[in-house]
Amino acid sequence: MNKKTSNARWILLFLLPIVLLYTAFFIYPFGFVFFSSLNKWNGISHMKFVGLQNYVNLAMSTTFQLSIRNNIIWALSLGFLQVGFASVIAFILARKPRFWKGLRTVYFIPKVISGVAIAMLWKAVYNAEFGALNAILTFLTGHTWNVNWLGEFNSALPAIIAQEVMYIGYFMIIILAGVMAIPRSYYEAAEIDGASVLQQELHITLPVVWGTIVTSMTLAMAYGLRHFEATFLMTGGGPGHSTSTLAIMMYNKIGARKLGQASALGTVLVIIGFIVIVTLNSTLGRKSLTGEDT
Amino acid sequence: MKKSLILSIAIVVLALIVTGPLVANGQKEAAAQKEVTLNWPCIWVGEDAKASAVADIVAQFNAKYEGKIKVVIEEMPSYDVYDKKILAQISGGTVPDIFTLKWTPDTRDLYDSDILVDFTKDLAAGWGDSFDKSVLNEVTLNSQTKTIPFEIAITPIWYNKTLFEKAGIQGFPKTYPEFWDAAAKLKAIGITPTSQMTGGANAWTSMLWYSHIMASIGGPDVWDKPLSDPIFVQGAEILKKLYSDGNTTKDAIGGGPAIPSGHYLAERTAIFCNGPWFIGNIRKNAPEVYKVTELTSAPAVPGGKSGAQVGFIQTLLASGATKDPAKREAAVTFLKYMTLPENVKRISIESGALLAPKFTFSANDKVDPLQVKFVEAQKNASFIVSHFAGKFSASVVQEFGPALDKLALGKATPQEFVQMLQDANN
Repeated sequence: MNKKTSNARWILLFLLPIVLLYTAFFIYPFGFVFFSSLNKWNGISHMKFVGLQNYVNLAMSTTFQLSIRNNIIWALSLGFLQVGFASVIAFILARKPRFWKGLRTVYFIPKVISGVAIAMLWKAVYNAEFGALNAILTFLTGHTWNVNWLGEFNSALPAIIAQEVMYIGYFMIIILAGVMAIPRSYYEAAEIDGASVLQQELHITLPVVWGTIVTSMTLAMAYGLRHFEATFLMTGGGPGHSTSTLAIMMYNKIGARKLGQASALGTVLVIIGFIVIVTLNSTLGRKSLTGEDT
Repeated sequence: MKKSLILSIAIVVLALIVTGPLVANGQKEAAAQKEVTLNWPCIWVGEDAKASAVADIVAQFNAKYEGKIKVVIEEMPSYDVYDKKILAQISGGTVPDIFTLKWTPDTRDLYDSDILVDFTKDLAAGWGDSFDKSVLNEVTLNSQTKTIPFEIAITPIWYNKTLFEKAGIQGFPKTYPEFWDAAAKLKAIGITPTSQMTGGANAWTSMLWYSHIMASIGGPDVWDKPLSDPIFVQGAEILKKLYSDGNTTKDAIGGGPAIPSGHYLAERTAIFCNGPWFIGNIRKNAPEVYKVTELTSAPAVPGGKSGAQVGFIQTLLASGATKDPAKREAAVTFLKYMTLPENVKRISIESGALLAPKFTFSANDKVDPLQVKFVEAQKNASFIVSHFAGKFSASVVQEFGPALDKLALGKATPQEFVQMLQDANN
């Protein structure tokens, strides 16, 4: 037996557990979801093959179109706004201003609090009758505000996204770790050359941690595409489906006992996620700003 | 040689990792064979008014059948999530040993399948005497009874007598023109007339109001009519008015169950609609409001029927079919225990709920005065119809809230509201 064959066997052996697990917990379930998406099924009686009818029904549904739009808005908001804010804060904290350790903890704390508790808190803040936001705006402007932030078509989606985007702690920590690892000598050399703080951030920090930022954006956008929790808890997809996402729609289809359509939504969700992540990596992540592969 | 040895060890370790839990599980099952365990995903937990009584009854049952049967409650405090979890379990092929469900048109699918224990013979053998025949007939399809009726309800209109008096309103209005006059008087003293909600799984409070409105328009056979009947638009026009001109709170749009009940308990609204299971909550959390709450039928629409009530079988007990006779027997034993008169009476007294199994109150029982009013409202009803959610498919019921959002916000006309419901039916 030559060394190459022997190595290949070892590689296969050590890959086997993960291949088995991946097959059991992703390939098989996804295969089942795809199969059931080709059937009419209420979850109780036998499946009836209907081909692509569930996909056709979805394509014609205005709620589906709204959900796709909302998922894209979520993905872009989290990918660019949340990670953008997280990057800026990480860059600032990496310069170790006063109380930077305390601030780092403060920014991260919401990430260890239950998402359910945070959603309930914001639901109270946005309440039309006794919410804190209306009270603050009334105090600041001098005239009465009683906007139903989560119950109006124009404000519901921005209100949910806004509360989510401001929790930057998770990505800030990831990016901060990357920034802190940059040797101090790079900045000292730049300072000697007369570079301003902004120039140092743009030409040293950003290129070096670009790979980390792209990874964060990928994670954030993946979360945006499968977003469920906050919307479900705060509006349930309302008013009138205006804040619905694919995951919410899928949940509702399960409740309506249309499991074939729910599976079709699941399949669409996986495909869209795949396309977005590949696109993101092939555009932003191909090369780091320093020219290295990421 | 050395490599082969390492390879062999690696394969053995891998095999142990994969098969170890299965072997261990098998041993555990063998050890537990003597005692039948019944898992019950249960909605009557936490703050639910029935929680304490149900927990005690289960504990007593477990003590009585120690070593033979053990009922394990899995706490599921959200009604909306509960239904979906049960459906997910059923579609995954693991029907719970004991569970509760609602009687809806979709329940027929469960009856047509072979996933539920059929209680027909058990009921015929004497257990059926514990129930009114009419109630049992209602849950019997094709001569099969696969669910046990447990909780029944009517959902009258609740109103705060003190707030009505403060506003100068004598008694609850009998017709909608009188109702709008009364609403104006309540608003004049700073009280929002009604509690409503569009959120949750089916916009519960407003769905009940719509059912009352439809009962008045369509009479006892209202639900025999298709959604294309113009009476549904007529009902939607009144529902829209309940959401207009400050007749309900602003947060009703998108609000879940806590919104309408919270406003009524805090006396921010004067009129509410719900079933007797809420008695325990109001008695505990707003005793002053509890004392001044009266129950009545909804106003009649001009030219419509008056005095109707919305009533239905609220909860059914069921058990997942099993090939294990011991497990089936254990499930039936437990359900019989749950429906014993003394247990049913205890749950009823503690929670205020109206229950289907027969029992009688004795002179010493502290029956809740509000519960007595429920019984009177039921007796005084000119006729009783089910609610909207009990008569239409899950997809139509689910669309009720979003359609109501649009109706209330002026994004849909009453015709479009009904059209949304019809579209959901397809």
